[in-house]
Amino acid sequence: MKLRHILAASTAFLALAGTASAETMKIGITQNNVGVDSYQTTYEKAFIAAAKANPDVETVVLDAGGDVARQIAQMEDLIQQDVDAIIIWPTNGEAVIPAVRKAHQAGIPVIVTNSNIAEAGFDFAASFSGPDNITQGARAAEIMCDKFKDMGIDGEARVVHITGQPGYTTAIERAKGFEDRLPEVCPDVTVVDTQPGDWNREKSQQVMEAFLVKYDDIDGVYAGDDNMGVGALNAAKAAGRDGIIFVGATNFAVGYEAMAAGDYWGSIYQSPVDDAEAALQTAIDVLEGKEVPFLNYFDTPKITQDNMGEYEKPVF
Amino acid sequence: MQAGQLSDAMKRGAIWGFIVLELIFFSVAGQYLSLSDSAFMDLDNMLLLLKQSAPIGIIAMGMTIVMVNGNIDLSVGATFAIAAIVLLNSMTWPIFAGLGDWVIPVAWLLALAVGTLLGALNGLIVWKTGVDAFIVTLGAMLGYRGIVFMFNGENPTSHLNWTLVDLAEAEFLGLATASWFLLGVTLAVWFLMTKTVHGRNAYAIGDNREAAVNAGIRVGPHMLINFAIIGFLAALSAVVFYSESGSVNPNDGQLYELWVITAVVLGGTKITGGAGSVIGTFGGVIAIQLLRKGLGHIGADTSTVNLVIGLILIAVLFLDRQLNVRGKEELKV
Repeated sequence: MKLRHILAASTAFLALAGTASAETMKIGITQNNVGVDSYQTTYEKAFIAAAKANPDVETVVLDAGGDVARQIAQMEDLIQQDVDAIIIWPTNGEAVIPAVRKAHQAGIPVIVTNSNIAEAGFDFAASFSGPDNITQGARAAEIMCDKFKDMGIDGEARVVHITGQPGYTTAIERAKGFEDRLPEVCPDVTVVDTQPGDWNREKSQQVMEAFLVKYDDIDGVYAGDDNMGVGALNAAKAAGRDGIIFVGATNFAVGYEAMAAGDYWGSIYQSPVDDAEAALQTAIDVLEGKEVPFLNYFDTPKITQDNMGEYEKPVF
Repeated sequence: MQAGQLSDAMKRGAIWGFIVLELIFFSVAGQYLSLSDSAFMDLDNMLLLLKQSAPIGIIAMGMTIVMVNGNIDLSVGATFAIAAIVLLNSMTWPIFAGLGDWVIPVAWLLALAVGTLLGALNGLIVWKTGVDAFIVTLGAMLGYRGIVFMFNGENPTSHLNWTLVDLAEAEFLGLATASWFLLGVTLAVWFLMTKTVHGRNAYAIGDNREAAVNAGIRVGPHMLINFAIIGFLAALSAVVFYSESGSVNPNDGQLYELWVITAVVLGGTKITGGAGSVIGTFGGVIAIQLLRKGLGHIGADTSTVNLVIGLILIAVLFLDRQLNVRGKEELKV
């Protein structure tokens, strides 16, 4: 698909015989791990579609497969190919900083997408385009706390926490947002255990199975995304444990369906299509010299069984 | 005999022929498909290729010794991660606080020492228990990875030291630091395997362990040394790579053992031991990186790389078998 796209783009380019060459923006993207979940797959599709729709943009779409070394090599390749801007979805928010600096030194603006690099690299990045993950974690804590208050168990509720891929900034930030906010809104709720689910539904299901054996009393589960949340839900269903409040983030279609069925309480609505389009637009704005805020967040609202009618079912 | 020599030459040349094929393909395809104005075979791009081959390549040299020896080491990816953690974490230890930037060589040495010890531990277990190296290092792979996760949970271990990054990014005679290490290790292991008694013993043991024992080679200590070498090289690879990146994910280095073994097998080393060459492994490493880079250059899906490498691996083994069969038949006549 990508091959065909670039083929089409480059033949069109050749047909113009270089007349448009000065206008075209060459944008390279290196993604974290396409295919590991439906969010990243939909993101890539949306990115390619958005780039195709814009005649002034040509893209090189790469995927690091979750491997830091491969991502750094891809950054070096994009610098070598002399693209006009690089979009990076970091595999590790700190390990890629020297590579981002290299691009910066070569005069290529770097746009970080989806999950930010660490602060030490802020000087070398042109902009960050993505969701505010700390706020997402905090909002998830509020959703859970509000529900506990409705149920009248906010004085004694016990929560388990399933986090995303280890080392991944989004996972760390959401966990931090949740763990900081929960004691503020619900001081008597305890988080009894935290384990990584690696953004993976099966892994999360296993983690939840272990939790259910270990703890007789679980009132709530916070998962770093709905994919893992639904994995945990499946484990609870299989064990016949009812009445657990599930809250996730990045509302997936499976999470949306589970909410409609009344099994899953709430999540954070985050569209990979918005995410991909925002990243490309940020890169274009930077190249056109427009004023872009360094932290260019797109909004990700709360979604629960109560207000889900206001949102379309996610496509991924 | 002549036919045997011919098939040997073909086997040795196969990987280089394949590399030439890749270069031609990506150069031609790049003309039409790449967004880049510069050619694929641009000198800078090829130098970059050498540098990017270093993380896998340095470990692959050690794997060549171990595989020629008739063993295998699946724990290199986990050793790589542990050495990286030691490297980055030790720079923040209070006892070294007075050293300033002199902490860098201390951290290097510590990481290398830990890698060597972990490798030697594998070798010791293989030697003393007689359990197959596949099983021992499979256990070590899981165990060492467990240590990585115990150390810092799911969080990355980070220490960004710009002096260190500048050192790693430095270039000498046009080659990046990582490239020098790859070339140096290749040369050293080539010398070890072809010019020393230790190297010749490695081939002898891999070819026929019993005969080697009867010939008076002390097989156990010999294998221990080889496992220590690959442990050292896994750590060296981590030192070279993480000096330039400053942060290690707890799952970094996962699947490295498979990429490394793929490179070694592509380079013509027999999986059963007794035959193989360091130069062939170097070719295997370059071939893999060339594919990754080339497919990115022409804008193909990155996941096609795995498919293509898998197909080529099977093709190479098939070719190898055919050539061997033909060689033997010729001998009988």
